[in-house]
Amino acid sequence: MEMRRHTARQKLVIYALMSLVMVFFLGPIFWFILLAFRHPSEAYNLPPELLFEPYLGNFIDTFVDPGNNAPQLVNSLIVSSGATLLSLPFALAAAYALSRFAMRGKEFILNWYISLLIAPPIVFVIPYFILMSRIGWAGSYQAMIVTLQTLAIPFSVWLLKSFIDEVPLDLEEAAWVDGATRLRAFFFIIIPLALPGLIVTSMFTFVFSWNNVLFPLVLSRGSTTTLPVGTISFFASTGVYWGHIAATAVVAMLPPMIIFLLLGRYVVRGLTFGAVKG
Amino acid sequence: MVVVKLNKRLPYILLAPSIIILLALILYPLAFALRNSFWFWNLQTSPMPLYHSGWDNFRMVFLVTPFSEALKNSLLLAGLGTFAQFWLGMGIALLLESHLRGMGLMRAVLIMPTTLAPVVAGFLFRYLLEPKGGILPWLLTGLGIPVPPQGFLGNAGTALFSIGLVDTWQWTPFFAIVLYAGLLSINEEIKEAAQVDGASGWRMFWSLTLPLLRPIAAFLVMIRFMQLFNSFDLVYVLTNGGPGTASRTLSFNLYREGLVNYNIGLTAAMTWLVVIIVSVIINLYLFFIFRKREW
Repeated sequence: MEMRRHTARQKLVIYALMSLVMVFFLGPIFWFILLAFRHPSEAYNLPPELLFEPYLGNFIDTFVDPGNNAPQLVNSLIVSSGATLLSLPFALAAAYALSRFAMRGKEFILNWYISLLIAPPIVFVIPYFILMSRIGWAGSYQAMIVTLQTLAIPFSVWLLKSFIDEVPLDLEEAAWVDGATRLRAFFFIIIPLALPGLIVTSMFTFVFSWNNVLFPLVLSRGSTTTLPVGTISFFASTGVYWGHIAATAVVAMLPPMIIFLLLGRYVVRGLTFGAVKG
Repeated sequence: MVVVKLNKRLPYILLAPSIIILLALILYPLAFALRNSFWFWNLQTSPMPLYHSGWDNFRMVFLVTPFSEALKNSLLLAGLGTFAQFWLGMGIALLLESHLRGMGLMRAVLIMPTTLAPVVAGFLFRYLLEPKGGILPWLLTGLGIPVPPQGFLGNAGTALFSIGLVDTWQWTPFFAIVLYAGLLSINEEIKEAAQVDGASGWRMFWSLTLPLLRPIAAFLVMIRFMQLFNSFDLVYVLTNGGPGTASRTLSFNLYREGLVNYNIGLTAAMTWLVVIIVSVIINLYLFFIFRKREW
């Protein structure tokens, strides 16, 4: 990468603007994390206090005693992992087909998957709500895991396809020449070489399922509800428990943040369903 | 030959499971909505549809719910939000492209707002915008900018705008890092060629950089426009569609009618209206922007 020369003055302007950008985009998160460590009586103190005695009560109330959020954390893990694991075999087969075969209607199929990703989920959720109570799945984990596939499968197909596209066809062909069946070549060439892609795709599907609120909001019951939905319960008509909301939200925001930092250069690709390679 | 035949069918066999499960998951709700859109059915009074009501539900959508207002709000939110996010993101991408020391680290942490669940982002700003005790009204008052007494979220004139602002906060980093990746992928040589021609920075941006970014930009704009058009989470947490119905979006209107008022018949009719509107937008987009696109 060739570096362009900047004058000192240009550098100053660029750094000044970037500082504003960072304060605008990260400041609110920082402020909310501080809220989780403030005593509830200090939530509204103005002028704002940057230095204060950290208070852990919010986390203890929500995760330890009475600790309603601890099971929600487990629920979030179950629903997000379940949705991710269920989507992978479906998506892997479809992504391989779309990557390796010339077929009629390929553009249409790819567009169809993406149109599901940008369709309004509320349209599906209300009928699911009634369907699930009819088949006895109301409030169950599987109700959320199965219906989340409307998002998880199309997303994974697109992202996985972009990774399989990058596995050189020569390697697979060489295996066929050596007498390997298509299936064998798939398991011994494609899977190992696309493994990073599989892991990246799983991590993204996990985050998107984790952050989804509409499906659990409508399809869970009290004992199966997920952590992001748990924040809403502290926004009650009897009062707004900002400390509890913030403590819950801080724990809910950690896994996606950590996963995104780990994903590094794959973030662009994942967020664009594989359409833009970062 | 058997092998050839199998290989011809193989891609369809591999695609079939995902397509079948997705079709089942989509066709059920659509068929459910189509049938019930012609029945009177309120879940509070009956577990089953009560009587055939012709086109009444479709008329009621416009009479009982603020459907046109919600449609206008959704379009406004999607249009203004996407526009703001695209250009702010582009500006930040150009700053990042300076490759000055520290830009790599800033790019890595800049994406944090996008990683949050929209409910979390909603609560975050609900706290910051709290009319009494929130830091933003306090700062703005200090700067001499008037703050509505009910707060920005409680004021009919600013509620929808505030939702758009929170979404813009959350998704501008997404535009920034993707457009930055796009800028890097643009061939340096073409740029150099333009510099040899003596084109100025601005001219180069408009006549060279922007057209080259068009495929990426078209894709980003489509995704974000539709996600904003479908806004639910932020509306739910920030304003609950209010004050009154001032910040209801189509998705929120559907939610209210279906899962608060339990008017399943009416919701079914509205579902089909929304499906038709969304299909028109998506197909127009695919037709005009992606006709010649190779994935």
